[in-house]
Amino acid sequence: MSTAMNFGSKSFKPRAPDKGAFPLDHFGECKAFKDTFMKCLRDNHFDNSKCRLQSKDYLECRMDHQLMAKEPLEKLGFRDLMDPPPSQADKDSKP
Amino acid sequence: MLLPLLVRPSLCSSRASVLLPGCIQMLPGGAVARTLHFQAEDFLRRRLPARLVTQSRGRKWRSQQDEWRTRNKTVLTYIAAAGVGMIGLSYAAVPLYRLYCQASGLGGTAVAGHDTEQVATMTPVKERVIKVTFNADTHASMQWNFRPQQTEIFVVPGETALAFYRAKNPTDKPIIGISTYNVVPFEAGQYFNKIQCFCFEEQRLNPHEEVDMPVFFYIDPEFDEDPRMARVETITLSYTFFEAKEGQKLPLPGYSYN
Repeated sequence: MSTAMNFGSKSFKPRAPDKGAFPLDHFGECKAFKDTFMKCLRDNHFDNSKCRLQSKDYLECRMDHQLMAKEPLEKLGFRDLMDPPPSQADKDSKP
Repeated sequence: MLLPLLVRPSLCSSRASVLLPGCIQMLPGGAVARTLHFQAEDFLRRRLPARLVTQSRGRKWRSQQDEWRTRNKTVLTYIAAAGVGMIGLSYAAVPLYRLYCQASGLGGTAVAGHDTEQVATMTPVKERVIKVTFNADTHASMQWNFRPQQTEIFVVPGETALAFYRAKNPTDKPIIGISTYNVVPFEAGQYFNKIQCFCFEEQRLNPHEEVDMPVFFYIDPEFDEDPRMARVETITLSYTFFEAKEGQKLPLPGYSYN
């Protein structure tokens, strides 16, 4: 347990999430996106790097349905998945 | 001979020369007394004239006293300064110790410099693949069915990742739950940053309702540069749900929570 009272012992200090808590998706509005994401994970041996597009879609669904505060995708770490600006239209974006 | 010792202090007084022979003459044992008397007179005659003696000895005595006084003053000043310094040090020790803990990571303190802006600018460290396993627990009296939807996921530091848990309320009355989490190994916990999750806030589930609970997190890219983390390949994220009663505060593990 992390409540060991001896000085100098390593203990874990839980931290609050940066952007707070997700509201619960009571109506299952984004369930389809979640299912796509889980299927992608299962197909790719649970490699997160390969399913980032699906996770981006899920978070976008949440934002559309007021289940998440709207944030630019860069702030969520999806800078490489975003559409390139018009001046760099021929540059490929790799996941 | 004891006589010089007896005589010296009294030499300051000019009356000693008068008193001393008188004292000696009063002593019994005439021959002994007479030799003592001659010795005493010799001593007394070796002195300077009385007036000058007192003045020069007095000046020396005064200057010596002044010297002692200034020396005492300096010593007292030093002691007072040391006392004030000790008190100041004990006050300064609190933030200094906190800084030291943050720098050395002693006691699992959160490393300073964890800011939310780095999410936008961090680059994934593709060579280092970490397996994150998920664990779900409920308190004994909590009747939800709570489990992760994937047992493990492979992430790299610097890349944001999404994971899901599922919770179901099988009872006929709404239950409010609140959760906390734990990361093992403890030292890796400071690199495990959650952007958004479902912990520390009350979540209400209606009867027979089932929801998906996402956790959006990333591992700090500096994880790869920490020598203490060189052998860490698996991180376990464990959530525990408790039932939240009205007005009850969740006892959080650990000492501080910010």
